[in-house]
Amino acid sequence: MKALSTLGLALLVAACGGAAPVVPPPVAPPAAPPPPPAASAPADPLGPEPVPTLAPTFQPPAPTVYTTANGLTVWLLERHVLPLVAVTVTIPNGAASDPKGEAGLARESADMLDEGAGKRGAIEYSKAVDDLGARVSSGASSDRSYVQLSVTKREFAAGMQLLGDAVVRPRFEAKEWKRVHDLWMNVLKQRQTVPREVARVVAAATLYGIDHPYGHPVDGLVSTAPNVALEAAKKFHDAAWRPDRATIVVVGDVTKGDLDAQLDAAFGAWKAPKSAPMPIVTPPPPAPSGADQPRIVMVDREDASQAVVSFVRPGLAAADPRDPVLERANVALGGSFTSRLNEDLREKHGWSYGASSGVQLMRGVGMVVASGSFVTDKTPEALKAMLGDIDDFGHAGMTEDEAQKTRLQTRAEFVEQYETIEHTCLALAHDASLGLGPDWEAKEAALADQADRQALNGVAATFFGRAGATVVIVGPRAKLEGPLTQAGFGPIAFVDAEGKSVVAAAAATKTKGTK
Amino acid sequence: MRFRVSLALALACATLVSSTAHAADDIAIPFTKTVLPNGMTVIFSEDHSLPKVVVDIVYRVGSRFEEPHRTGFAHLFEHLMFMGTRRAPSGEFDRSMEAAGGMNNANTSEDRTDFYDVAPAGSLPLLLWLEADRLRDLGPLMTKEKLDLQRDVVRNERRQQIENRPYGLVRLRMPELLYPEGHPYHHPVIGSHEDLEAAQVDDVKAFFAKYYDPANASLCIAGDFKPDEATQLLQSWFATIPSKGKPQDPGMGAIDPASVALKSVVRETVQDHVELARTYLAWQSPKAMAKGDAELDLLASVLTKGKASRLYQALVYEKKLAQDVSANQESGVLGSTFEIRATARPGVSLDAIEAAVDAELAKVTQRPVTKDELARAKNGFETEFVERLESVDERAAILNEYQAQMGDPGYAQRDLDRYRNATVEDVQATALKVLDPNARVILRVVPKGGAK
Repeated sequence: MKALSTLGLALLVAACGGAAPVVPPPVAPPAAPPPPPAASAPADPLGPEPVPTLAPTFQPPAPTVYTTANGLTVWLLERHVLPLVAVTVTIPNGAASDPKGEAGLARESADMLDEGAGKRGAIEYSKAVDDLGARVSSGASSDRSYVQLSVTKREFAAGMQLLGDAVVRPRFEAKEWKRVHDLWMNVLKQRQTVPREVARVVAAATLYGIDHPYGHPVDGLVSTAPNVALEAAKKFHDAAWRPDRATIVVVGDVTKGDLDAQLDAAFGAWKAPKSAPMPIVTPPPPAPSGADQPRIVMVDREDASQAVVSFVRPGLAAADPRDPVLERANVALGGSFTSRLNEDLREKHGWSYGASSGVQLMRGVGMVVASGSFVTDKTPEALKAMLGDIDDFGHAGMTEDEAQKTRLQTRAEFVEQYETIEHTCLALAHDASLGLGPDWEAKEAALADQADRQALNGVAATFFGRAGATVVIVGPRAKLEGPLTQAGFGPIAFVDAEGKSVVAAAAATKTKGTK
Repeated sequence: MRFRVSLALALACATLVSSTAHAADDIAIPFTKTVLPNGMTVIFSEDHSLPKVVVDIVYRVGSRFEEPHRTGFAHLFEHLMFMGTRRAPSGEFDRSMEAAGGMNNANTSEDRTDFYDVAPAGSLPLLLWLEADRLRDLGPLMTKEKLDLQRDVVRNERRQQIENRPYGLVRLRMPELLYPEGHPYHHPVIGSHEDLEAAQVDDVKAFFAKYYDPANASLCIAGDFKPDEATQLLQSWFATIPSKGKPQDPGMGAIDPASVALKSVVRETVQDHVELARTYLAWQSPKAMAKGDAELDLLASVLTKGKASRLYQALVYEKKLAQDVSANQESGVLGSTFEIRATARPGVSLDAIEAAVDAELAKVTQRPVTKDELARAKNGFETEFVERLESVDERAAILNEYQAQMGDPGYAQRDLDRYRNATVEDVQATALKVLDPNARVILRVVPKGGAK
């Protein structure tokens, strides 16, 4: 494959459409015929490079919003194109609400929702979903938890019933918990052998600090997973999953009448308890490091032929009006194939299969991330170039060509996200639980589109630069420590796959007497 | 300018009628197909519901067409297709396309190489100009500098996607164990570092001249465009590219298919940087679209999709031997691979895992699966077929895939019918024929430095 497909589009998860927008008749003139050849030159059958006609800007449609009798907020975006419906129930509590020492609780609590619900045990529930040719999945991010359903129009009623069972009537049976917990522990151990995953976990732990609500991974930690118990998962569900805090987002081939009948049948019995709901966590920004040079943290991966390098620094909150501008600026730095990072590290030097950057969208301050996998013996040069590219972009900003390119690419990404109802539904559910409002996608598109070069360079100067950053390197220590130090990167802090200092970790292990 | 939003948009592109029998009665993507005088196939699928246009070009060449000691070449060549010409020098292909708000990518398999461009409506002339330019001129302008750069990138792709990824080695080793040396599927698509290093500029020029011929290409335009304009551009820019003739598909060459069938159990154990041991069981299976191909897709679902599936329920849920289990039929032109993989929980031996898998496989060969199980599997495929129609990119890829495979872009309906018409007896007969416990590969991956 030429490039990882995540490079271009994955970082700006956004829009959604209740209806496919109708494009007015294109104003494009017919493509220019090849011009007559100059007298002296031989005729070129292709003529000069065609100049595209500008596509019109895109207006993301907003869902219809209303509340059911039992207090459930509904976002409905009808889209009668194919006989498919996507539904997400989302609540505004996720891993940032995990109690200290119980990392992964929100996620595991959500995981249990389709492990037996209503009148069906885990096997029967799964069978019922598959009988419909449907999909049900549940999970959490730092800021929220969700259950989602994808189903054909024909099976919509039956699918909604199963979704309602998962949200309102989960069983939380001890037998199922034991299996889910065992499998989870193993997955966490497996995560430690995946370099990119290790970089992700260590980067957040280092930038925020492990005790910050965003400092621990949503999927938990090997070191504390044994502390996460069924009772706590059940309690989390009771406190966080309640109709007065949930939004159900429905996108696809369904009318309000059909939806309301199913909401009543499947969710009508869901009542909010009198107790106060779980608080919504808006964590403080990470503590500024104040250092001019990035902190360098390394996780040893013996004999690896590449080093995974991840640069992180504080970004901003999703609701900040500068966020869409920052996202657009990022497209020029590392958000597409011809971005500066990829052009330099891959297309100019061949040190990597690809380098990219992105902006995390969180309720609190998220991270700006830049990363790549570099062939081991070129890692010091690659890191130097990467930091140089980021600094240059922050200092000098982008060119007028880049400003125009990022405007068109950002427009195209919004169009792209309206294509499938599942993407649309996920984006709206994100907006709903972060309190961004049903018209956020349209606002976001407009804010991004209207930013001029000066505005783009303003956010670039604030958010792109090595000062205050952390660089995580997952690679072979024996081959990298010396060359990195010689190249001026140091001191290097060595940590384990969950971000603990290797010295401290070794001591802790010894006292516990485990392997 | 803003779009009007219509809540009742008729889909110009796919006709689907809901019914009580199936999620969809018809899976039809309207298209037109023509062949240019130079042999290039052209497919149009017009749809104005979103302001985007896609150009998808399939060249009928993949890793099985490679010369000896040039493994990985077809994929390396895919990268070189972006390295520029006189009109659009190195990097210009991507820069022009992204400047217009577009993007592109490509992928290479054993059988084919697929390039696709996605851009806002109004960019079609640019996309076609760039594609025509490289099909005309790229090969003769190849240089060692261009080759060296992409060689480095591809070797880094190999490191990133395979070497530095747990269990990645399986993708290198499995084809070598499944097919004997000399078989076109014997080597992995990514190739060896040694062969990638050995590739020469002359190899690139010869490969281009032979396989990147209009008669070996199929070009599909889908989305928001005007067919009349597109036809005019294709006539000027593509129909004028001379063809040297459609290259011959080497197929199996001089190899007698019967001679390459596995006749015994091939076992190997490799060490990797993994936490849990895993076993891969693989069989040679009926080629794409042949009788048994869809049945094996369905069987894979019955075995491993959902908690009620045979292998999940037995190995993960009840016996608690496996961490996870999955199965799939990987279909190819010359033949396919049916593969089951299961990861052992800590302390569980791969012997125990393999025995448990075999016990379940014996059941599906001895007795038909239930009608409920088959219906459940079919329903999953029904939904998948409909979901694939959602995006313009997918529709372009589907039309071109069916063209390459069956010579008919409109094969979707018949493809779906293979699944609809399969019976429990068909599935059992296929399982019995294909899943021979005495003719397969068993490839184990165990933690580095650990015990067996």
